[in-house]
Amino acid sequence: MKKMLNSLLLFVVFTIVLAGCGAAGDSSKTEGTAGSEQTSTTAGPVTVKDDHGEVKLDKPAERVVVLEWTFTEDLIALGVQPVGNADNENYKLWVTPEAKLADTVTDIGTRGEPNLEAIAALKPDLIISNADNNAAIYAQLKGIAPTIEFDPYKGNGYDYDRMVEIFKQVAVATGKTEQADKVLSELDQHYVEAKATLEKAGKADFHYALTQAFTAQNAASLRMFKENSVVVGTLAKIGMVNDWKSDKTEKYGFSTVGIEALPAVQDSNFIYITQKTDDVFGAAMKNNSVWNGLNFVKEKRTYPLDGTTWTFGGPISSKVLVDQVVGALTK
Amino acid sequence: MTRTGTRGLSKTWRVGSIFGGGLIVLIVLFFVSLCYGEASIPLHTVIEALTQRQNTLEHNMVWDLRMPRTVIGILAGGALAIAGALLQAITKNPLAASDTLGINAGAYFVVVLGAVMFPGLLHQAPFLFAAVGGLLAAVLAYFMGGGRAGSPIRLALAGLIVSMVLGSFTGALHIFYSFETQGLFLWGSGSLVQNDWSGTTYAWPWVVGLSVIAFLLSRQFDVLDLDESTSTSLGQKVSLTRAVGIVLAVLLSTITVSVIGPIGFVGLVAPHLVRLSGLKMHRWVLPGSFLWGALLLTGADVLAKMVHQSSMDLPTGAMMALIGAPWLIWLILWKMKLPSGINGQSSMNIGVRSRKLPYGRLVTLLGCGAVLLTVFSLMFGGMRIPVGDLLSGLFGGENANSALLQFRIPRTLVAAGAGIALAVSGVLIQLAVRNPLADASIIGVSSGAGFGALAVIIVWPGLPVYMLPIAAIAGATVSAAVIFFLSWNNHLNPSVVILLGIAVSAIGAAGIQILIIQGSLWGSTGYIWLTGSTYARNWGQVATILAFLLVLLPIAWWLARRFDLLVFDDSSAMGLGLPVRRTRLLAMAVGVLLAGGAVACVGTVGFIGLIAPHIVRTLIGHHVRRSIVLSSILGAVMLVLADTIGRTVLAPTEIPSGLLIALIGAPYFLYLMYRSNKSKSV
Repeated sequence: MKKMLNSLLLFVVFTIVLAGCGAAGDSSKTEGTAGSEQTSTTAGPVTVKDDHGEVKLDKPAERVVVLEWTFTEDLIALGVQPVGNADNENYKLWVTPEAKLADTVTDIGTRGEPNLEAIAALKPDLIISNADNNAAIYAQLKGIAPTIEFDPYKGNGYDYDRMVEIFKQVAVATGKTEQADKVLSELDQHYVEAKATLEKAGKADFHYALTQAFTAQNAASLRMFKENSVVVGTLAKIGMVNDWKSDKTEKYGFSTVGIEALPAVQDSNFIYITQKTDDVFGAAMKNNSVWNGLNFVKEKRTYPLDGTTWTFGGPISSKVLVDQVVGALTK
Repeated sequence: MTRTGTRGLSKTWRVGSIFGGGLIVLIVLFFVSLCYGEASIPLHTVIEALTQRQNTLEHNMVWDLRMPRTVIGILAGGALAIAGALLQAITKNPLAASDTLGINAGAYFVVVLGAVMFPGLLHQAPFLFAAVGGLLAAVLAYFMGGGRAGSPIRLALAGLIVSMVLGSFTGALHIFYSFETQGLFLWGSGSLVQNDWSGTTYAWPWVVGLSVIAFLLSRQFDVLDLDESTSTSLGQKVSLTRAVGIVLAVLLSTITVSVIGPIGFVGLVAPHLVRLSGLKMHRWVLPGSFLWGALLLTGADVLAKMVHQSSMDLPTGAMMALIGAPWLIWLILWKMKLPSGINGQSSMNIGVRSRKLPYGRLVTLLGCGAVLLTVFSLMFGGMRIPVGDLLSGLFGGENANSALLQFRIPRTLVAAGAGIALAVSGVLIQLAVRNPLADASIIGVSSGAGFGALAVIIVWPGLPVYMLPIAAIAGATVSAAVIFFLSWNNHLNPSVVILLGIAVSAIGAAGIQILIIQGSLWGSTGYIWLTGSTYARNWGQVATILAFLLVLLPIAWWLARRFDLLVFDDSSAMGLGLPVRRTRLLAMAVGVLLAGGAVACVGTVGFIGLIAPHIVRTLIGHHVRRSIVLSSILGAVMLVLADTIGRTVLAPTEIPSGLLIALIGAPYFLYLMYRSNKSKSV
């Protein structure tokens, strides 16, 4: 009995010693990393405003790890490729090819559970995380590198202003504020042109309802976007009017509904995003009397967009959305 | 009036209430279901649509969206209920139904497997996949339950365990092939939502046809109710009836699964409602079951529609579990004939013990193994760390590796600690209910703890972190208390305890599902947390689990001498002067607290508390203190190993540790079942 107790004790002591070393070595290491790569740029310190307040960086970040595609796209719009990104494979599937991820970007796991070790191994000088998914690991991320964290859906949701605000902060963090201003003014110019194109085609003040739809539970599931979404904000810039109204507060800026909810907007124009592999409004609706009875179906006012039209993106996604919509409406 | 006259009258009344009353309720529910939906359509429009349909949107909505959903609910509920009634007659088991015999889980598993392996073929013939899966599961459950010699309770247990095993496989498919199985995810909980009539047109000929066949054969099924000698004297015909009945039941339930996913409890509850009224003949029981099954499922669906949240739907299956699980409890406690000689049956011996190994040597061996494994596990992960760096990292050299120190050590320690807590909790709970097949996950304590913890995360997200373990413990305690006190009068009969645990688990799981939906946690962290994860555990969790272990392990150790006596049956233990029930309660309390602590740290990891103590028993036999020590080491080894594999194999993507444990643990449990069965029949 004694002998066994002793060995158990030994085991416990050993693990505790391991733990102790861990805590001690931890801090010294982090400092070492931060100090080692200083002289590469001459730009001075920057201060980024994130959801936690302010984060000071000694110099603009170069090696950025991003845990959410929205921010990845912001970076790419600024001409910066991240060193690490979450779930590259699905990024390519869902996010527009115009915000192309370089092949050199390391995959660091899923957006929900990014691999902390893989992040640390990249020795980033900045991590951009999404509070909606990664709040639980914020402390650990900060232990690896300076971390800025946004919850895109906080407050009024990820609307157009929020998109611009986050984009500008990402630009501050990477020392690309001039580039950001350029991107945004080009985008505004793009809106002006698109608006003119629509007017010329007789589609000024175009009323619409926009959805991103997929099959769930063997039936159609529709995300109908409302005012507090970046996509509706974007389309407002080219004079379009969203007809989908919902009294409920929708955190993510859309209501999830079934086909039954569509008659409410049947006099509007129906713009939809579906994946090629999941043809929600095609064959699946061919014999659906409700779908076929909707005015916008009968009068052929339905407009499909490409599956990679990302609805939670940054400036590039907004530009692509406008191109897609204008293309579909003026075809 | 003569006595027979009164009886005849009351029978008429019973038939009247079951059929007439049932029909009225069903018609009311039918209308409610048609009136309830996303678009608001007034009642008079619904009635107008029914009586004089025109080609207007509202009428079309009533006819082509709401009607198929309501009709498939009626068909599916009826089909599942008839399947349940048939299975109950065939197995003479009040607990039999397509879900308790593993048929639904089997059908669903093969459908998901089909979605991954042969998506094209699945699309063409989902029924084929479901039927194959259901049949295989039924055969497996039958075989594991001891075949013809097996008792009704054993069969039900085997079926539920087969369900658990297949459920863990399905969970694995969902995580490994999340993209391919995306659309099946919510369906996995059973959903009646329909796009159009296609599901209904596909299912109704089968459901109606098979139900009619069953009805026509009702005389044959009556024979099965006779006692064994009378029915065997009828010879060949009985086994033929049995076979036909099983085929009918499997087809009826699998056609349902292939359209609306696995839904439980309908087939269990509906036939009982009918039989409660005193109706015994199958020509009454079968149509009555159909009616009440339809009624139950439609009712559950109406309730599920009411919980509808704008971001997602509550699966009808979850609502059905909330309604049905209390019934399962009631059936177990008041409607089931418990096996005689309860105490004799619940021995802690399972299978054949080979030979005892010297304990001291075992501890040293396993202890060294554990330490080696821990060091080894520190070398693997998102990045590989060379041994040289590892050593210098450990002893604070210049080369200290931050990833190792920040991430691997705490998560390895949490895994080890939770493994110890779960294993010891298993030892204690097994003693408390004197049941070698019990552990925190099987008797529902884990899902209770999970519900508590998740409730805190979702309902009061602002609460401080230390509330999490407290909530987990509160949840664990409530479910343990429910099971312990409900089975008290049955002397904590092993089968009763496990079956109650499964019912409580079902309630907990349904509650968890509602929470996930209300909190919009779908698909991401919520689900993974529930399968048990050691992802990104930090020093805070190390402190939590350590606190639990430091307080509870000495208590367990101190009480172990008394617990030793629990191995004997109650009367001998009492003869030795032990307050048996109080001691059991103590063991249970310590075990539940340990399990709650583990759930708070790593989510609902199952089966460790089952496997570790069992392996130890086969090595050294009964001895509580020794068992605590050895099980601790084994439990730690198991979870550390799962953690290491989970973070290494698919790196940078992680596999939840709980899932890896379940993939090994659930089949092991099945094997234990089988062994205990075999040793008993010999």
